[in-house]
Amino acid sequence: MPTRQIVVFLILVLVLFVAILELARRRVLRVEYSWLWIASCLTTVLLILRYDLLIKLTDFVGGVLPTSTLFFLCILYLALLCLHYSIRISALTHQVKDLAQEVALLRLGLGNPEALPAATPPAVGIEAAH
Amino acid sequence: MSSELLITLPALNEAKNLPEVLSTLRESWPQAALLVVDDASTDATAAVARAHGALVATLPFRLGYGGAVQAGIKYGLRRSFKVVVTFDADGQHDPADVGPLVEAVRGGADLAIGSRALAPESYRGGIARRWGRSLFAFLARVLTGLRLTDPTSGLKALGPRGQALFALSRFPDRYPDADALVLARRARLTITERPARMRPSRNRHSMHGGIGSVAYGFNMLFSLFVAATGRDLHRKE
Repeated sequence: MPTRQIVVFLILVLVLFVAILELARRRVLRVEYSWLWIASCLTTVLLILRYDLLIKLTDFVGGVLPTSTLFFLCILYLALLCLHYSIRISALTHQVKDLAQEVALLRLGLGNPEALPAATPPAVGIEAAH
Repeated sequence: MSSELLITLPALNEAKNLPEVLSTLRESWPQAALLVVDDASTDATAAVARAHGALVATLPFRLGYGGAVQAGIKYGLRRSFKVVVTFDADGQHDPADVGPLVEAVRGGADLAIGSRALAPESYRGGIARRWGRSLFAFLARVLTGLRLTDPTSGLKALGPRGQALFALSRFPDRYPDADALVLARRARLTITERPARMRPSRNRHSMHGGIGSVAYGFNMLFSLFVAATGRDLHRKE
């Protein structure tokens, strides 16, 4: 890889890296998400500095061009990222639903305090699945 | 207030139907607590329900049928009602059918379902709905050995164990139908059916209506698969 390319890419990655650290420091980006981005930065740096690794990987998976291996890995990475977000959104959907129901029950209790439901359900032994 | 019987009605823009539904319920069940779960209606649903003597829990935004039903069941569970009945607010259920369901739960059932198929004179919906119901009933039977005739019925009575299951955070909340019954079976609840006459819904925008049948069918098939093979619902709560 030409030195010019290496320098340009390293600068780009450095900018991204600093941006991620700064976002985490400002508490905009949660810590558990930051490590994912930091890991992608480090992988990129590794591939910039050790282009031969990418070529070896291309040979290993039977690819023709190192660039196509790189694109494939990027797409795979983005797909996994989307899956990760879907999982998070699923969990958040449950939580938002529970909160909305809680708000409705508390609103009911505000109007008539004697109808306020208990904060937690009574313990009823059920096996949710076997 | 008696903590024997709670009748909960999920309602989305039902200001027109609620007066009659609530009055007839009140006539048949003077002792019961009536709870309307207002699914963020844009009409006077909450005010009308209050004016007719029902408790009202208003959701801050729309959750859909399952989420509204579940809110009502959570209320019943936390107030330790012995029986919670879920009843549609659009007038398609008949208060006369509540009695046998309540009796079934008092007699030891955890979950009693009002079935159109057991009431020969009942309205049963169009051919697609009937076929869908038979298919899901068949699949539920294949998956769990459960013999039920009307897995999509919204008229149910739940004892404390039934309430506890239906109130779990990860319980299917889109359309708790055949998948809910498969889960109930897997949780070893006692499930039974009683005949129920249903009328065509009077509200074109009723919560059951307007769903894409194909999407519904696919979702329900997949939900059935998850219900039958999935992990314990208590996990990760």
